Amino acid sequence: MPFVNWLKRRLVVIAGLLTLAYLLLPNVVVTVFSFNKPKGRFNYEWQRFSTDAWKDPCGVADMCGSLSLSLQIALWATVGATVLGTMISFALVRYRFRARGAVNSLIFLPMAMPEVVMAASLLTLFLNMGAQLGFWTILIAHIMFCLSFVVTAVKARVMSMDPRLEEAARDLYAGPVQTFLRVTLPIAAPGIAAGALLSFALSFDDFIITNFNAGSTVTFPMFVWGSAQRGTPVQINVIGTAMFLVAVLLVLSSMVITHRRNKQKA
Amino acid sequence: MSTLTEAPPPLAPATPEKKPARRRGRFTPYWLLLPGMLWLIVFFALPMIYQASTSVQQGSLEEGYKVTWHFATYWDALAAYWPQFLRSVSYAAAATVLCLLLGYPLAYLIAFRAGRWKNLIMILVIAPFFTSFLIRTLAWKTILADNGVVVHTLNSLHLLDLTNWLGWTAGDRVLATPLAVVCGLTYNFLPFMILPLYTSLERIDGRLHEAAGDLYARPWTTFRKVTFPLSMPGVVSGTLLTFIPAAGDYVNAELLGSTDTRMIGNVIQTQFLRILDYPTAAALSFILMAAILAMVTLYIRRSGTEDLV
Amino acid sequence: MKTTPDNSGDVRLSGISKTYGSFTAVHPLDLTVPEGSFFALLGASGCGKTTTLRMIAGLEEPTTGTVRLGDQDVTHLPPYKRPVNTVFQSYALFPHLDIFENVAFGLRRRGIKSVKKQVEEMLELVQLGEQARKKPHQLSGGQQQRVAVARALINHPKVLLLDEPLGALDLKLRRQMQLELKRIQTEVGITFVHVTHDQEEAMTMADTVAVMNGGRVEQLGSPADLYENPQSTFVANFLGTSNLIEAEVDTKNGDDLVLKAGGGKLVLPEARCSAPTTAGGKVLVGIRPEKISLTHADDAGEIPAGRNRLTGKIADASFIGVSTQYVIDSPVCDELAVYVQNVERDGRLVPGADVVLHWNPAHTFGLDAAQDIDAGTEEEVAA
Repeated sequence: MPFVNWLKRRLVVIAGLLTLAYLLLPNVVVTVFSFNKPKGRFNYEWQRFSTDAWKDPCGVADMCGSLSLSLQIALWATVGATVLGTMISFALVRYRFRARGAVNSLIFLPMAMPEVVMAASLLTLFLNMGAQLGFWTILIAHIMFCLSFVVTAVKARVMSMDPRLEEAARDLYAGPVQTFLRVTLPIAAPGIAAGALLSFALSFDDFIITNFNAGSTVTFPMFVWGSAQRGTPVQINVIGTAMFLVAVLLVLSSMVITHRRNKQKA
Repeated sequence: MSTLTEAPPPLAPATPEKKPARRRGRFTPYWLLLPGMLWLIVFFALPMIYQASTSVQQGSLEEGYKVTWHFATYWDALAAYWPQFLRSVSYAAAATVLCLLLGYPLAYLIAFRAGRWKNLIMILVIAPFFTSFLIRTLAWKTILADNGVVVHTLNSLHLLDLTNWLGWTAGDRVLATPLAVVCGLTYNFLPFMILPLYTSLERIDGRLHEAAGDLYARPWTTFRKVTFPLSMPGVVSGTLLTFIPAAGDYVNAELLGSTDTRMIGNVIQTQFLRILDYPTAAALSFILMAAILAMVTLYIRRSGTEDLV
Repeated sequence: MKTTPDNSGDVRLSGISKTYGSFTAVHPLDLTVPEGSFFALLGASGCGKTTTLRMIAGLEEPTTGTVRLGDQDVTHLPPYKRPVNTVFQSYALFPHLDIFENVAFGLRRRGIKSVKKQVEEMLELVQLGEQARKKPHQLSGGQQQRVAVARALINHPKVLLLDEPLGALDLKLRRQMQLELKRIQTEVGITFVHVTHDQEEAMTMADTVAVMNGGRVEQLGSPADLYENPQSTFVANFLGTSNLIEAEVDTKNGDDLVLKAGGGKLVLPEARCSAPTTAGGKVLVGIRPEKISLTHADDAGEIPAGRNRLTGKIADASFIGVSTQYVIDSPVCDELAVYVQNVERDGRLVPGADVVLHWNPAHTFGLDAAQDIDAGTEEEVAA
């Protein structure tokens, strides 16, 4: 039974590829349906091929506004969470201090908490304080839930860093500030970048916490949510497809560049 | 060797100060921690306390709320919404198991069998994140549509009869049924299972497989006795990262389900944002939090040490 | 091309110690390393040698005592203000900088603008001119090691500290780098303080070796002095191999002590005994394995008079090329090691043969019997 044997040896590969297909199927549908010309207000059934939406991606009222708002929030949330999170990571790895356990749990808990719980409790706070819901409350919430992820990413990197590197810098006439800027920071940079990237993705794509704390402000995920009730414009698929392609292309080109650079050097 | 005989530039004069670095550095960790921790205390911990207090308040929007230690809210909320609680837990559990079953082969494939395709597959696992998850979830409406390929196939294989009988689907539909919601949950949280699994699989020394084979273990035995136990950290963090958000999710139930598939997240959202019954919403959210923390603690304890193998 | 000796390169440690909580890593210690010397701190891991080095570098602050470079008290100076540089264990090369920038790091930090010429010359000295634009991970272990040396030396430190600099290299490369480091030291004339656990490395390279054990210096001296005249069982066992035999002082005969060991007598020059020598006192008699000659029991009559003698039976013999290493079972000691050069091999010297061991009494040394007889042996170090 050579075929059965062949199948047996490749069972993992086949199962894995099927899972990959499951993961990618919605993206394929999103892409295909970005070329649809739906009959009604909803874009769930294939009608006929059209590039109208691609020619006029901002043709839907408020959509591109919400997109730019989401990008702004994601940018500032990334900056805030990365700075605060990096500081915490360094304190955790490099210093001994009291209340380390409490600090660690306070960082772990937001990641172990269902979003809806954080969303609801934060809203309670804002309502109690009489805060005006909008850009600032969204930003506060996003920095809050991105923070823990930045700490995790940066901490891992700083922990794996050889403490002798900093000693070597101090031995070679670099003062504390110079040591940090010339050695510590550049070496921790990949971890910080990973944390920042994760923050950006989390913030940009967040719906549940934003939905609770946005008031009448509409971010891009909220726009999509609203359109699922009122009617889904094809442009949503255009944005989704474009972001997927941009992401894949960026990653691929950066990989090609590093590959080439390594080849040149070797 | 001329460079070595040149006199080095003079260094800073030696004024023996008493332990300057130490004294300056004593408070450094606290300064580093302060802003971030303050942020988490004010916007994460404090709200939890506010929420706890809200849950035992009585009153109305117009007249304001007062703390009356009205714990009956908890019993009323549980009595009214226990089916949604149960549903949340069972849907999340089902999705977690499915994620593990689907995710493990892919994580294994990336870690051991992908060769030069490794990076590409990795990118393909992560890249969907860049399309808003709401858009991707909406795509499932098309995939599972009543007249779509999936429903048609299931129907002709008479699998729908089976799922109808199990109560997973109703009529000739998949959309607006528990199956669709679990399918959506599984899809949405699958990467959170795959990535930690991959991380812990990748750390396993490939020679261990050879050693197991050398010691008369068949591939399946090798997997059961060596690979799987060693990947346990990934399994634990993967299941947690899948179960917790799935239990609190209301997006999939809303977009792919019906009123019969409402989960506890839907109830909390409605109570908070539409009905504006804050005490009930706060109580529900508190119960959800407590339940999940309790389950997670229990799970970590059990899978922590000796029960890993 | 040595710098004129003005003693500014002396390292003077007085009474320095280091405690962490209740653990004492280094007991109060006085040590002077003269300028221009190659000084080795030798000991097993955890003996306090690295802590001592780090206190000189300024990476650890001593709990008590002072560190002086020449006449300058640097005890409380941070490392970046000390004219001392370190070659770190596993090198600690900055992974994000290329070789050129690694070497230029110290110069740049001191605000020197035109570093190109100096760096290039330094890279030439360590034969890495071609590799200037590579990253550390692209170099081999030996090359990385040379970068680490160049990076420290370019700053013209008064003292260069080397923390197990060759530990990560394989045996052959280590031998080569030992000679290379020795060459560089002779050439630049800077004081080198070298920390190592490898006794062979310390003896090959250093002018003076301090053997450390349990946070204290056990003995200090030239390699030959330490080897020929150890003053504690730790030094005797840690540096090479020693046969230690329990004996009792019998009489004094001029400058020599006559000792009773088992049924026989052994002679030990009194000057070579570090233990109290009252009659009836216990002493450990030491003799290095290569100093012993083996004669088959049948030829015992041919042994010249005046030599120390023991009888025994060969328990084991291993041929290792230049020499044959015998293990002898003797009434005074179970396992005596004897190394015999393979010049004229006696075919009768096989396991089971009865032999007489004999040596010139001048090679004998005496140690205080109150010590642990196994201190510093490999088994003890590994435990």
